[in-house]
Amino acid sequence: MKKTIIKTLGLISSLLVFSSSAFSAAKEVRAAFFLEWATPNQEAKVKKAFDKALGVPVKWTNFNTGVEMTEAMLSGAIDISYSQGMTPFVNAVNAKAPIKMVDIAVEYGMSGTGCVVSNASGISKKNARELEGKKVAVPLNTMADYAFKMIMKEYKVNVSKIQVVDMAPADGAVALVDGNVTMACMFGKNSIDKALTKGKMIMTTEEATKAGITSFDITSATDKFIKENPEMLRTFLQVTAEYNKRFRDGKSDLNIIAKDAGMDLAKTKNQMAGFKFPTPAEQRKVYFKNNGKSGKAVEVLTFMGNMFGTAANPALKDYSTTINTSFLPK
Amino acid sequence: MLTGLFIILLIIILIATIVYGKRLIKVEKIDAVFGNPERSKGGYHWIIAGSCSILLLWFYFSWDVARSFFPNSANELCQVAKVRDSLVSIKYVFPIEQKTLKSSDFIKRENRNIELLNNQIKQSSIANKDKDKLIFLLVETQSLIKILSDEKYLNPEIKNKVLGVANQIDSLSKNIQNKNYPQFDSLSSEEKIAIKKQGFWGETGAEVPFYPNTKFGLKFDAASKELNKIVEQFFLIKNNSEVFEKKSKELDSVIENYRDTLAESQEVETQFAREVSKIYGRVTRSNIFPANVLDPVEQSVVRFEEVQKKEQGSLKIIDTLLFPGGTVVASGQTCSEQGSGRWLPKPTDTLKEFLHLLDPNQGYKNVPLFWYEMMGINKVVDFILPDWIADLVPGKYPVHNNEGKVISNFKSNVLDIVTGNFELFSIPVPSGHIWDSFLRVFLGLTLGILCGVPLGLFMGLSRFAAGYFDPLIELYRPVPPLAWAPLIITVFGIDNSGKIFLLFIVSFAIMVISARAGASGTQLSKIHAAHSLGASHWQILKEVIFPNSLPEILTGIRVAIGVCWGTLVAAEFLAGTTGIGFVENVARKYMQYEVIWITIFVMGLLGLLFDIGMRKIINKTIPWRGKG
Repeated sequence: MKKTIIKTLGLISSLLVFSSSAFSAAKEVRAAFFLEWATPNQEAKVKKAFDKALGVPVKWTNFNTGVEMTEAMLSGAIDISYSQGMTPFVNAVNAKAPIKMVDIAVEYGMSGTGCVVSNASGISKKNARELEGKKVAVPLNTMADYAFKMIMKEYKVNVSKIQVVDMAPADGAVALVDGNVTMACMFGKNSIDKALTKGKMIMTTEEATKAGITSFDITSATDKFIKENPEMLRTFLQVTAEYNKRFRDGKSDLNIIAKDAGMDLAKTKNQMAGFKFPTPAEQRKVYFKNNGKSGKAVEVLTFMGNMFGTAANPALKDYSTTINTSFLPK
Repeated sequence: MLTGLFIILLIIILIATIVYGKRLIKVEKIDAVFGNPERSKGGYHWIIAGSCSILLLWFYFSWDVARSFFPNSANELCQVAKVRDSLVSIKYVFPIEQKTLKSSDFIKRENRNIELLNNQIKQSSIANKDKDKLIFLLVETQSLIKILSDEKYLNPEIKNKVLGVANQIDSLSKNIQNKNYPQFDSLSSEEKIAIKKQGFWGETGAEVPFYPNTKFGLKFDAASKELNKIVEQFFLIKNNSEVFEKKSKELDSVIENYRDTLAESQEVETQFAREVSKIYGRVTRSNIFPANVLDPVEQSVVRFEEVQKKEQGSLKIIDTLLFPGGTVVASGQTCSEQGSGRWLPKPTDTLKEFLHLLDPNQGYKNVPLFWYEMMGINKVVDFILPDWIADLVPGKYPVHNNEGKVISNFKSNVLDIVTGNFELFSIPVPSGHIWDSFLRVFLGLTLGILCGVPLGLFMGLSRFAAGYFDPLIELYRPVPPLAWAPLIITVFGIDNSGKIFLLFIVSFAIMVISARAGASGTQLSKIHAAHSLGASHWQILKEVIFPNSLPEILTGIRVAIGVCWGTLVAAEFLAGTTGIGFVENVARKYMQYEVIWITIFVMGLLGLLFDIGMRKIINKTIPWRGKG
């Protein structure tokens, strides 16, 4: 009997220790990034420019989805997520996760995400409504999910009649090539290229821009890190802005970026051609007007928040509280 | 309220079962010695005690106990969290929760960085002139740190400012001990409206109400607002003595001048100069103070913390006891549960969500959890009868006549029947996520048994089969089932067949091994006896070997069921439209922890049901097992 009590107490205390694993002063900065997603600051990452500017080592971990980034941030394993999609971010803040948007990382039309419809189906934007009743591969709660919903809305297709299959981009591409799905929405250059061998984009980049569908990725940071190491976050964004400028000036070493992103040079160039890395000034002008109280960022957040809100995690009333622009470089 | 009563009931039952169990043990000591299997029988009260313990642990760690007995505690803790949140950044500067002073940490780090760079420059192959210059710049940068940490150079104003901040914190400490604090109206008109509108703790969408509901909470809310202003003031204090300003400006221009003199070909030098200027930049922005200058603020913060903790009173105890593994955290304009309360949903919420999902009109992603749908009998006929039956009927399929009509004949009527092209009555069939998962496991398992058992028996009886199939089985058996996953979508597509195949290969290997072990383990004397009684090969197989290997086979099935459930979830992660694994995967993406736990429970229960069924079958078919 005594032993049982001791064991139970042991279990409880071990659970307590496990769930309250605190971590102390920033001896390193833990950042999250994506593979197959070429960004200029990957040059800085490889050349250790972040480490040198921050004065502490930066530990980079790659993730498959923005959801995983949020999970890691919530467990205290990641401080900064670079290029997290808006969709996972908005779902995280809907679920009251203590993280903030601090910067716009990448702006892309349909070049980073998109929906590829198979050639065999004979469906194009003209008869997009035939997609109703068909199977479509979508990685749920990603920017591709958002693109899918927006494109279907644009072509007036009833999304609830489509059979959505939840598939990672790489699997979705395979399923499309094998003819198991009629359309596949995905992100990542390798996956999209694979899908394009047997299909075509249902909405081109230009059409998407015309329809007002833009997608952008953000940099998010945990509240804890923001409060404790604001100067480090500022430096992080500054280095990123520096390397973005290098890229605009054509000075980036694309070989390094390609290697770090896990793609070949041609694909990297192709992908980055569709990317825009807005300067801090542009961000203030377009995305974060009035310190984020208005502007595109909060508009899209509100729109998306209502789109993805559920009964358990409803949309917030005011999304500007999830934006902190005080770390943007001058 | 109801939850509270239920929790009390659980505790009473737990105590009662334990008391009953202890009494029973006392009685048993007399007639059953240790080691007697009788002592392990009839422990139903312990099952009840175990279930109660699990439920209580769940109620406790999900903070449902706190919510049912102290429904206001989360809102009050939220106000306390606001105070904590206001202090996070200022506390991080001092060794209050950290071990070291932030400035000391910074200086230690940068001294090391300077030393490292110094060594790198010395060992590099650049011209001595540049080396000297770069090292000079480094030394100058280091001297900036010295100026910043020397009280001699400190701007006298700073001490006053620091004292001012410390005094403000101290007076706040004094004020919040006053019963009537806040004497002023600390709530804006918008906040007053918001208080009326906000829900209660746990109400859908309002995880933790943000605005203070109680007088107690109001106090902390007001304190946090004051603190925010004080902290802002504190961080505006900059260590900008004249000596430092002058020196850093000089050094800045020296560094810039030097960088300008470097030619483009001098890549190494440029790189070093850049790194020096980075360190220089960090030092000038660091805002470090001589070690003891900020002490008044540190002490006042520590004092405030003590007062604040004392003011929390009984809430502090509730926080430690009833909010295990985390607490309520304030962030921006929301308060949320962080810790076990976040990822372990409350039993009441889970039950509510489960009932919501069970509603066939709701379901999950437009598919009910477990329901029925009406299916025409024609589809069943279509599935059972092969289409080529129609081809066997003599004659030709009808063509259209001159009037543009097609007149059906016997052959086409047969075709209509076998392809299910007719309307008759409908029968209800089960459907939904749970049924789909169940069906996949059931089909995979059945196929595995049907193919695996005969092959296993064959391998146990024949030298040819044992040798011939051995490499195949032994090679693929140790492969973890998920290793097949990447191939499944390409080969089988995204429908059920791939998932069923995955489950089939899992159960197949297990069934082959167990049937083989059973067949080769049959006692030779029994086989000899059957032979001498004149039994045929078939009779020996049917009457002797098969019954003798049944215990092994049935144990194999039990093992296979477990492994199949394990594999199923992963298989449904791959490409899902339905199934319990699919639900769990999607719920994860939307952070619906209630749904995640529901799927875990459903899977546990289904596994348990399968196992109970198997135990019944085992008891019925081989009651003689272990008694021979």
